Order: sequence, then C-alpha cells, then structure tokens
Amino acid sequence: MDTPLLTIEHLSKVFPGQVALDDVDLVVRAGTTHALVGQNGSGKSTLIKILAGYHQPTGEPVATLLGAGFPLGDGRAAEAAGIRFVHQDLGLVDMLSSVENIAMGSGFLTRRGRINWKGETARAREDLAAIGFDDFEVTMPVGVLAPSQRTAVALARALRGWEDGASLLVLDEPTASLPDDDVQRLFDAVRRLKARGVAILYVSHHLDEVFAIADEVTILRDGQRVTTQPIGDVDKSGLIELMIGHKLVTRRSGSFDPAGAPLLRAANLAGGNVRNVSVTVLAGEVVGVAGITGSGREHLVPLITGQIPSIDGDLEINGRDIAPYAPRQLIQAGGAFVTADRARLGNLPMMSVTANTTMCDVKRNARHHRLLHPKERVEAREWIERLGTKTSAAEAPISTLSGGNQQKVLFARGLRLVPQVIVLDEPTRGIDVGAKEEIHSIIDDAAAGGSAVLVASTDTDELVRVSHRVIVLRQGRIAAELVGADVTSANIERAQLQSDHNSQDGLR
Amino acid sequence: MTNAELDVDPISAARPQGSWMSRLRFDRYSALYLWGAFVVFFGLTQSAYLSTASVSLTFGEKTIVCVLALAFLVPLVTDTFDLSIGANLNLSLVILFKLRSEGVSMWIASPLALAACATAGFISGYVVVKLKVNSFIATLAMSQVVTAMSLLISNNRQITEKMPKAFKDIGTKRPLFNLPMYFYFMLLLAAILWYVFEHTPLGRYMFATGGGREAARLSGVNVDRLTWGSLVVSAMIAGFGGFVFAWKNNIFQNSAGPGFLFPAVAAVFFGASQLKGRANVWGALIAVFALAFGIKGLQLSFGAGTFWIEPLFNGLSLLIAVSLASRQGIIKIRKRKAASA
Repeated sequence: MDTPLLTIEHLSKVFPGQVALDDVDLVVRAGTTHALVGQNGSGKSTLIKILAGYHQPTGEPVATLLGAGFPLGDGRAAEAAGIRFVHQDLGLVDMLSSVENIAMGSGFLTRRGRINWKGETARAREDLAAIGFDDFEVTMPVGVLAPSQRTAVALARALRGWEDGASLLVLDEPTASLPDDDVQRLFDAVRRLKARGVAILYVSHHLDEVFAIADEVTILRDGQRVTTQPIGDVDKSGLIELMIGHKLVTRRSGSFDPAGAPLLRAANLAGGNVRNVSVTVLAGEVVGVAGITGSGREHLVPLITGQIPSIDGDLEINGRDIAPYAPRQLIQAGGAFVTADRARLGNLPMMSVTANTTMCDVKRNARHHRLLHPKERVEAREWIERLGTKTSAAEAPISTLSGGNQQKVLFARGLRLVPQVIVLDEPTRGIDVGAKEEIHSIIDDAAAGGSAVLVASTDTDELVRVSHRVIVLRQGRIAAELVGADVTSANIERAQLQSDHNSQDGLR
Repeated sequence: MTNAELDVDPISAARPQGSWMSRLRFDRYSALYLWGAFVVFFGLTQSAYLSTASVSLTFGEKTIVCVLALAFLVPLVTDTFDLSIGANLNLSLVILFKLRSEGVSMWIASPLALAACATAGFISGYVVVKLKVNSFIATLAMSQVVTAMSLLISNNRQITEKMPKAFKDIGTKRPLFNLPMYFYFMLLLAAILWYVFEHTPLGRYMFATGGGREAARLSGVNVDRLTWGSLVVSAMIAGFGGFVFAWKNNIFQNSAGPGFLFPAVAAVFFGASQLKGRANVWGALIAVFALAFGIKGLQLSFGAGTFWIEPLFNGLSLLIAVSLASRQGIIKIRKRKAASA
C-alpha cells in the first residue's frame, strides 16, 4: 500500500497572464485510488493534461514512476510508462461497435492477416463483464448505448492489456455527464478495479464520489496544492472549506428597481440536465446561474435560447411566449444571447467581422433589398470602437481575431439589437484578463440601461462580480438562491458542492 | 463588376504579401491566367483558334454548362448539394418537346416545364429539410426518379419537333459579338444571382447558412426555408438549362442532361477556388470558359480522334486549381508545425 507509484515534485505551469499550477507535489501510492479535487480553474485539468503530454510544464519538475525517472509533458513517455487515460469526452467513435472501439487502442487479433472477429468479440465481452457490464450487445455501434455503457467501453479500452506493463489509470471527471443511476454502475466498475489492485488517479468535483471510492485526496486551489490527506481524516464540510477560495470579489455596479418589469420568465423548464427550473429576471437585474458540470447549469441557457429543444416548461420574453427551439422568436421578442460554444454556435468563421456583427438584423442596412455595404461597415466600425475590439479591419474574417475579440464581436451582434433581455453562457471562457473585465463592464452597462440579464458561468468570481442574485443548480433543480451580500464565491461554491441527503446515501 | 468585389475581399485583405508566386495570386486567379495562356499559345500556333466563328462557337457551346453550374451553385452556397440538375434539365426538355408534339403553345409549355422542375426541387427540399436526409443522397436519388419521369414521357425515344419561329430565333439570332441570344440570357441570370448573393440580405443569409448552419439558425436565420428554397430555385435554373438545350440543338435525347453534371460541378468547385476563395458566380463562369478554350485549342492541335481530351482536361484542371488554392493553407500548417516543434 505504501510504495509510491507516481511522484511529482515542483510542478508549475504558467500560461500567458495566468499561473495554472504553482509548485504542486503529488504522490499516488500503488494499489490506491487517489482523488484530485478542486474548483473550476484550480489547476486539476492542467495537471492531467501535462501528465497526458498535451501541455508542457514550466520549469523543471521532478517526476518518478515506479521508482524510475519520468519526463512530464511527453505523451509517448506516458504511454510507454503505462499511464492510461479515460478523458471526460471518452474519445469513442460512435459509428463503430464496442468491439472495434476497445480494439482501437491495442490492435486487433488477426489470423493470417484477417481480423479474428469471433475472438475479438469474445474478448470485448470478457473485458466488459470484468467491470460489470454484460447487459448490452458488443457489436452494436456505441452511439446507441447509454452514457454509462459508453463510459464502460472507454474504461475497457483503457484497461485492455493492463497486465502488460500498465501502471496507472487516470479517470478525468468520468461522471460529469452521467445520470445518477449510471453513476452507481460506474462506481461498481471502479470498485472492481480497486479489488484488482489497479491504481487510480480520480479527478472530480463531486465530493460524494470522492468519499465513496478514494483512499487519499489531494486538494488543489488556485493552482496550489492545499493538502493531501487520507480520506478518513477529512469530512465533507472540511473538504469543502479546503476547496473554497477566499478571494474577495465584490460587485461593482449599481442596484436595480425591485419593482421593475419581469422581462424574462421561465417556468418549470426541463430538458437536457435541467429537470425543473423556474426563474424570473427583472429589468435592470443581473441573475447568475451557478452549478457544477452535470447540475443543469450547462443546459439552462441552451434551453432558453433554443440551442436544444426543451421537453417541458414555458418561456416568456418581454411578455411574449417563446416556443421551444425557436431562437428567431426570442430575437424578435427583444432578446439577445451569446452561446458558450463560440466556435460552433457563435462565429461564422469564413465571414467578415462586419457580416458577423450584423447577422441578427442584416436588413437594417438594406434599402429595397439592396445591402448598403458602406453603411454596414460604418456600423461595424462603430461597434469595434465602442467595445474596443482589436481587428486589422472591419472586413477581416472573424477567425483571424483572438478569442476575446471574437467574443466582443458576438456581443456586438446581440447588443446592436438593443435587447431588453440578454442571456449569456460562459461569457468570458477562454478570454484573457483584460478583455474579461471589459466584458463585465459591458454587462454592467446593459443592466444599467434597463436590460434583464441572465448569466450562466462556471467562474464563481465572475458571477459575484456581475450578479445581483445567483441561483445555484444541483441535479437539474435550483438548490440555493443567494441575494445581495450573500453573493460571495465561498457561498456559491459551498452551495454547488453540497448535496441532497438521499443521493449521498445512495452513493455510500 | 468583379473589380468592385475584390476591393473588399476579406481573404486578400488579411493575407500578408509574400513570394512572387503569391503576388501573382496564382491561387485566386489561376483560371484567368490559364485562360490567357491558352489564348496566347493556341492563338499563335493555330490560325483558326481565334477566328470569330471559333470563339463564338465555344462561348455558345458552353452556355448550357454555365447554366447548370449556376443551378449547382445556388444550393451549394447554403452547403447543400443538388446532383439532380442534369435530370431536371432533361425533364424540362422532354416536357417542352412532348407538349409541342401535342400541339401545345410554347407559351404554355415553357411555364409547365419550369413548374415540373420546381415540383421536383420542392420534393428534394422536403426530403432534405423535413426528413433530414443528406442532400447528396437525397438529390442523387431524386435524379433517378426524375429520369424515370422523363423516360416515361418520352417513351425512351428521341423527339424532334419543328419549333415555332419565335422560339427558334433565340437559338439562331446573334444580337451582339456574333453570340447567340441564349448566351446573353445566361449572363443576365448570372448577374441576377451575383446581385442576390453579394448585395442583398438574402444572399448574406444564404452564405451564413452555408458557413455555419447552427450559428446562423441561432442568429435568427431561417436556415430550413433557405435550404428548401435554394433547391427549388436550382431545379428551375436546371429547367431553364433545358430551354437552352432546345434553342441550341432543337432535339430531345434521353442522354442530354446527365452528361453536363460533371463539367458543371467541376466548374463550381474550380470557380470556388477563384477570386473570393468561396463559391461565387463569376469564378464558376470563368472556370467553364478557361477550360473550354483549353480543350478547343488541344482539339485543334491534335485533330480528329481527341474525344478523350475533354474529360481528362476537366479532371486535371480541377485537381490543379483546387490544390493551388489550398497551398496557402498547407504552408500555414507547415509553419505552425515548424514553430511548435
């Protein structure tokens, strides 16, 4: 139990303008399950990415694996040393069967150059049965499987040939997108692995899971290691306090009229991970939406803005009923929104900054169906100036801009509609600090101008900075609502991490 | 007209100047250079090449390919394929001749032919938009259904009918530069499409749909209606291609339409590598004629028995033009790799 399997000392990683990891040490002992926990932005995914060789560490960290030196930031060395990964997105090919997906990592059994399908199929069945999944047909495409079954396929792939020199299994947020019942099945699988003596590095911010399976836990906060303790030495509220940062971020904008008109009203919305959420936003108010991944936070804005169809509930913008999956109606009712997935759902990458800016209302700059190009460019340049967007020209393709500046163009797209309701999803994800503050000011100004604003974000400091009120989602429902002085990072994070008692019992 | 476009070309505005190769802009003007090279080379070596008769013959001959290229271009802008354009051309053609043989006036037959094509396009649109079938597959299947209709109507026979004079005149009258009327009709159609694509909100919405369907939908663009509509318009333009065939050849044959599909599709993709770096009207037309002039010259040089030159030439030029256009992208990737290594 006590032999160190993996040791890492003095690991740092500096991104431009941000220290992601600051002199972190980590020791994973052989045959144990080691949990790595921390809030969003605490550095845990950076650590995993360095381990997988996706990022290079800054400086000269020292690492050993099974007593031998081990270069960090080298994907091939990690593979040769037998570190296996199951990443959050699983990396499965939906069109292929479980048999094919599992064999992809290690190669097929062949007989005289021909794939031995019988042998492969039997092998896949065995591998899946070994982790407790024998209830689905392994020749079906994995695209049709349940989420837990897909996770099992990814696990089986990582475990294939475990005896031949594999050392450590890294599970990166494996339950983030799983429904509760499925989490149970995955846990059974992990317990079986523990029984086989497989060492696991388990990354999560679901604390119930950590208590259910971990032997030791390392807590990261703001890129630093807070502590490493045997799981028996901490309780849940203690762990939460260790994870929570105590930075003081305060709201910097004015108040709003509590008797203002309710411009956004969602009642009993359901769809995706959202089970039942009702929220009302008044004119001039900024409401934040918090929650860990899987809580429904990631689907509330997509539901409201018609990115995904809702299965239940009513939405009213500016007094008008909005049908599900109808972004057009939302815009026509006086709404505007910026999506979290800028690359796929926001940008029109081949088109110019001008065309991207005017997309929601091209006709404003047209007369008798004729586009007035100069007028359009003048308007685009006004927005470039107003939001301080950095671009070589109004006619440059939006894909030539940096992430923060692309985001400003998408804000301009919405703001030029003079919207009464603004819905934002991760408004500053992947954006540098300077642009972040500018976008926060834009949100302040919009609210001060009388717009109702709803902001979903994983960045709790951001929510504290811009919101009058924060709703915290858990398991698809509103678990807490923080108002006024109670809107602090610590309160939000505590509310995100706490869980309902019944589910806690279920996990233990 | 194209010059005004180029002033605001975002691709060239953003691209740094480099080697002599990029200053000549082979990537964006390869078809024009090619065309020029053919005219100079064959003009010097073949005395008949630049004669008025030869030049106007080439322009006239390629008008049908141009019309079908325009038909293919319209849905392609919304990132939708229409492979039934050749079949639609045939449908329109057979309806014209069949109705004529029944003694129906061309004033009635022509709109009916167009309406039949529009119906075919509407059905393709339904399958693509409502049943969510990939447009490539949906229109490929529709092309067979439409072909079956044409065969049914023609009874698998060639039809020759004496057309009224006013109708035939469009094929024989040469109002300007010794070029037939229908060539100018095609130019007018191209100009209308260019205007819609580049200078109306509708065109902007279509390009947005093609550039990012979901992003466009979330900006309030009615992407389904645009996709559907573009397939109807495409089928009608292909139907107009049937008129051009009738004016020019005065005959219906079952084999008329499908043979034009590849040259038209190739011209659109070749043309998409030209001028603006995305599908565009003038690029497609320039591509058609650059290739036509090359083939003409080769045929004159090698004499009879050179029937194989045309497909070979069409295929190779498409490959070379598109490779040149993606060269810039390849260089960028290499640079990035070198920088990160």
